[in-house]
Amino acid sequence: MLMQFDFPRTFDDLLGDFLITDIHPLTRSVFPAIDVAEHENETVVLAELPGVKKEDVKITFENNVLTLRGERKPYKIPENARVLLNEMRVREFSRSIEFDHGVDAARISAEMTNGMLRIVLPKAESARVRTIEVK
Amino acid sequence: MENAKHDALMRRPDGLAEKVVVPVADMFETSDEFVLRLDMPGATKEAIHLNIEPDRLSVHGTVMPHHQENANLLFNEISRKKYLREFNLGDGIDRETIKAQYDDGVLTILLPKTEAMKVRTIPIH
Repeated sequence: MLMQFDFPRTFDDLLGDFLITDIHPLTRSVFPAIDVAEHENETVVLAELPGVKKEDVKITFENNVLTLRGERKPYKIPENARVLLNEMRVREFSRSIEFDHGVDAARISAEMTNGMLRIVLPKAESARVRTIEVK
Repeated sequence: MENAKHDALMRRPDGLAEKVVVPVADMFETSDEFVLRLDMPGATKEAIHLNIEPDRLSVHGTVMPHHQENANLLFNEISRKKYLREFNLGDGIDRETIKAQYDDGVLTILLPKTEAMKVRTIPIH
């Protein structure tokens, strides 16, 4: 295959581009970042939520769509304090993930540890892999 | 920065290799101390280390893999990473009484000022 670059760029330039998003989560527009891992009998959704209290997250599952909603609330600083650095973004968030297989909604569970939200969505019986024996 | 570049280069195409990430930080100063907060989700208290050098404070954190090695990831926005950030330490900080706490994925470091640096209000008689 013939490859052509219209705008020749140095290797450093190319590197620069992805370093921006890799190093500074600040520049990333989607919040929270999520992972979705599929296992044989369940799907695990992981979300990075530093500084978010578990009571400030609301998880719903409706019409096969999982939605995380919440808010990173500001922390208290003393009245006479002087702010020297402010990179953290306090904001509301909402993300939805649609599932294309059946989920056993009654058994969805979630826990929050060290700023990571982990949601386990067991697959519905109909969505599980079955091995059929040939007689 | 050099480390980060190196790690980015070593990244495997599947996105599973470890990267060095500079954690986002907030800092404020009161009359008695500096308070530094860093977003380090996914680390654990045991896997965070603070090194206090004569003129520098460095924060390191390790995040254990979140998934089994052969997991089928349909979405993968959370990278495997190590956290690293360094700050200059001025003379006015009492190195002996620095304290740190890790809650909800946020590391809070309290850097008390030395007696000489503390702000005092002098009443006029």
